[in-house]
Amino acid sequence: MSDVAGRLRAAFTDAGVTGWLHAVDIDSGAQVDAGADQPVCTASVHKLCVLVTLHEQAAAGLLDLTEQVECPPAGRTPGPTGLAAMLDPVRLSLRDAAFLMMSVSDNTAADLLLRRVGLDAVNRTTDRLGLTRTRAVHGFGEMLATMREDAGPAGAQALTDPHVITRLRALDPARTNRSTPRDMTRLLGTIWRDEACPPEQGAAVRRILGLQVWPHRLASGFPFDDVHVAGKTGSLPTLRNEVGVVEYPDGGRYAVAVFTRTAHTAATLPAADAVIGTAARIAVDALRAP
Amino acid sequence: MDLVRHLECFVAVAEESHFGRAAARLGMAQPPLSQRIARLERELGVRLFERTSRQVTITEAGTLLLAEARELLARSESFLATARRIRDGETGLLRAALSPDISGETVAALLAAFRRHHAGLELELHELSTAQQLAGFASHDLDVGLIHHPCDVAGLELGPVLRRDLGVLLPRDTAQAGLAEVPLASLTGYDLILFPRDSAPAVYDDLLTACARGGYTPAAVRHGQGASFVRGLVLSAGAVALVPRDTQPAATGERDPDLVWRPLAGAPLAWRHSVAWPKGRGDAAVGAFADAATQALRTTAGARAETTARPLHLRPASEFWL
Repeated sequence: MSDVAGRLRAAFTDAGVTGWLHAVDIDSGAQVDAGADQPVCTASVHKLCVLVTLHEQAAAGLLDLTEQVECPPAGRTPGPTGLAAMLDPVRLSLRDAAFLMMSVSDNTAADLLLRRVGLDAVNRTTDRLGLTRTRAVHGFGEMLATMREDAGPAGAQALTDPHVITRLRALDPARTNRSTPRDMTRLLGTIWRDEACPPEQGAAVRRILGLQVWPHRLASGFPFDDVHVAGKTGSLPTLRNEVGVVEYPDGGRYAVAVFTRTAHTAATLPAADAVIGTAARIAVDALRAP
Repeated sequence: MDLVRHLECFVAVAEESHFGRAAARLGMAQPPLSQRIARLERELGVRLFERTSRQVTITEAGTLLLAEARELLARSESFLATARRIRDGETGLLRAALSPDISGETVAALLAAFRRHHAGLELELHELSTAQQLAGFASHDLDVGLIHHPCDVAGLELGPVLRRDLGVLLPRDTAQAGLAEVPLASLTGYDLILFPRDSAPAVYDDLLTACARGGYTPAAVRHGQGASFVRGLVLSAGAVALVPRDTQPAATGERDPDLVWRPLAGAPLAWRHSVAWPKGRGDAAVGAFADAATQALRTTAGARAETTARPLHLRPASEFWL
């Protein structure tokens, strides 16, 4: 295991990132720890907490996942995918909004659901599951608003300027939604063991997590047709995350959380995305070693 | 009332939204923390938090005060750093660093400007790579430094980012040596001499990507840094080096009989530098170093601010939109 830490460090360095990882065998509890207790900004990874809260409330009978909600074009949280990018009025069920929130990281769907369950409820859920270092302090639209404010009049253009990067509140775990790699693998473990929600809602959560479209991060490390990868990414300028579960045909299942910061401020950095998969694979291979 | 200590408590509770967690972070027990918050609220005559049995939320008034509280704490830390500096030496000591590629002329200009303005302050100058400087900031062994971008700037404050255009160093008898400006694509066929990748992977990758985009993909990259080693490779091994003008003898008027430095057409490549220091620790001495280094780079190395902002097309996988 000792050379695993060295290989992880080398992989992160080689990709030009600083990275923190925690990987756990969901059934045996064996783990790989490379900065597992580092406070990190969750960004869109926090949508996973919203998803679990939603299903917890459904299990408690507080809401019906098939309930229809209206999403008018005005006032949508900005984003490049899903409802956030659509132009016309939409009517859909809570569970389909959850599907959009997780499969394409739809910011509008996320804030719609967050308003429905409440920010406090999300924190109560993570508290209940023992995630003591995990906290949502604002919704996704509010987080983007701090970025707009900190970036100044030049807008998104300014986000490749290292000066602007140093002052973004959205990149400071003390001032935005936060967690640790260890908290996130704990959350995934509770979902896969049906401890976060009863089996019916747990299965719904796992289905949605398996429908994420992005192939470039966690999934890229497991180029095998017979391996199932479910996860949720999170991205902000210089920040690339993914947490998920990798399941092998022999029944082995592993919760992995990888959080990174790039040295480069560019938005398009394929190697930085791919190293999330590379690092996860190094950790899972170590957990599977005889 | 020790205002600074009370403000630390205020900020910790505001950030953790929880007395227990804030107390753990401050390394104190919860009851004295609650007392401090109550005392601060009494002194200010402002209610900072709403407390229910389950949780703590910051009030509107608390939110209005939070930014200034943070600023005061940062200023107080910077004040203490200056005091430490004055206490540690008779007249104060500033521990600063430059990366090894900074030319002798730039170093001399920096030192001269710094001494002119801060004769009483002792400057301890080190030659350190960007990675070494970042480690020095983290371990509190370094106060300020001139670094290369891109690098992980978390927890730092920066001076202006300046670009130092790279040109090509090639043998005097090559066809390109006759050109006023060398197109990158015309270097095809030459190997490239570059610093070892592990000293700055992001800068290295950036440079190779920019070369490829400009039509130059070297068949081999040879690693070298020392001026005489690089010179030897350029002279005898069918390789070229990409370096800033100010590191070459020609910059000081000497003539190299065998090698020439030529700018690249369209200035497609540059090294980017800025002064950097740990967030909240920027005092007058750090500011003076930042000004002197920035000015020295401008005057002796022809460094300049980025003039044209490139368009940024965020792709859907970026997950955000402003």
